Order: sequence, then structure tokens, then C-alpha cells
Amino acid sequence: MAIQIILLCGLVIFSALAILLKDLIKAALSLAVASLLLGIIFFRLAAPYAAVFEISVVAGLITVLFILTIALTKKGDEVTEARLVKLAFPVFLILFLVIDGLVMKSLLQKIPALPSGPEAGTFGEVLWKQRTFDLVAQVGVILAGVLAVLALFRKKEEDKDE
Amino acid sequence: MSNLWFLYLFFAALLIFIGLYCLLTMRNLIKLFIAVEVISKGVSLAIVATGAVKNNILLAQSLAITYIVVEVALVATALALIINIYKKNKSLDVRLLSKLKG
Repeated sequence: MAIQIILLCGLVIFSALAILLKDLIKAALSLAVASLLLGIIFFRLAAPYAAVFEISVVAGLITVLFILTIALTKKGDEVTEARLVKLAFPVFLILFLVIDGLVMKSLLQKIPALPSGPEAGTFGEVLWKQRTFDLVAQVGVILAGVLAVLALFRKKEEDKDE
Repeated sequence: MSNLWFLYLFFAALLIFIGLYCLLTMRNLIKLFIAVEVISKGVSLAIVATGAVKNNILLAQSLAITYIVVEVALVATALALIINIYKKNKSLDVRLLSKLKG
């Protein structure tokens, strides 16, 4: 329990750093560390497949994509943020912490969640047999993403030809 | 078990709040997508934790994996869009996008 709380606190701290740090590279690396901590939390929740995806895809691939984008947009750091944003953040965070602590417990008793009960079978059976439609949707989403990226960069090449 | 569920959902809500705060206040486009990532971390934590507490971890894992795949497609497309916006405007300031108004 104590380790879980430390991991969750680390996750929140690195996520907050990711949005508060001015240097975008440091922000992207903080996000990667937060993903790594989330992956460890998944491992401890007995969800190894989700943990592997979180660490390899989110902490690895998405961080590389972010750093690539930051490198391609060198002047990105020059965007000036409003001064009040960083000053007001701790105030709003503490306010939300209090509301969250007061409201969440009563909310949990009211919101219906997944029916409780032990599951049968293995992860593979659940993924490939019960959630087959999800897999089809995943293929569709990946194809849409690839086509969108290709379309976005093709347009620029046509501009150069002109 | 309920206390454990409360703990995870408490932190998930906190992550979603941090992301929403950044989305509402910041101006840098890359920061905004980092905020979207933070929100998605909160959501996947809520999914997996609820599955673990309710003894439905296999289903929760498959949902989390689907969610991660959708997230990657979203980020890849969004970052390609950001690079195009940067080439056009020479800035990542989200306020400049108002120039796109016809």
C-alpha cells in the first residue's frame, strides 16, 4: 500500500512537472517518467500486458514523437505563457484536492461500475474472443492515423513542387 | 478494497484535473498535447484500477490496450498537424490559430 501511494504521488508530481516546466524537452522526459511509473503501477495491479504497452508505446514511442516534434519546431520555447498560470496552479490544485477527497468517496458508492466477480479464461481469450470488435476498431484507428499523417505531409510536398 | 479503489480514482481525478488546467490555461501547442497525454494517463489508471478492484482485470487490460492504441494514433496525427502549423505560422502559439478564421 505504501509503495503504491509513493508511486501514485510520483506519477502526479512528474505529470505536474510535465506541464509546468518551461523547457519542452524536460517536459517530454517528465511525461516519459510518469508513463514509466504508471507502467509499474499496472504491473503491481496484476495487469502485465497493459504495463508492457504503457512502458513500450507511451513511455517509448510517444516520447520519441514528442522529442522529434520539439526538435523540428525549435522556436517553440518562445511562446510566452500568462504569469498567473503557474502562480495559480498550486492554489487550484489544493482546492481540487480538498473537493476530490470530500466528493470521491460518496461518488464511488453511487456510480455503477463493472459487475464484481472472478473472470474465467486467459487474457488472450478475453482479447481475441470477447473484444474482437475492439481489435477491428484498433486496426481502423491505426489506418486512419497513418493516412492522416501521410495526407498532412503530402500536402507540403505538393506545395514545394509548385 | 473500497479504500484502494478510492485511492486510485482519487489520483486518477487529480491527473485529469492537472491536464484540464493546462488545456484551459496554456498557449503552447505542444504543452496542450502533453496535457492531453496527462489526461489519458488518468483515464487509463481509472480503467485498470477499477478492473483490478472489481476482479475484472483481463477485460480492463484489453480496454486499456485499445485505449493506448487510440492514444498513439491521436498523438501521431496531432503532432504532424503541429509541425504543419509551425511551418505555416513560425510559432506554436495557439492564439495565432485565430488567424485561420475566414
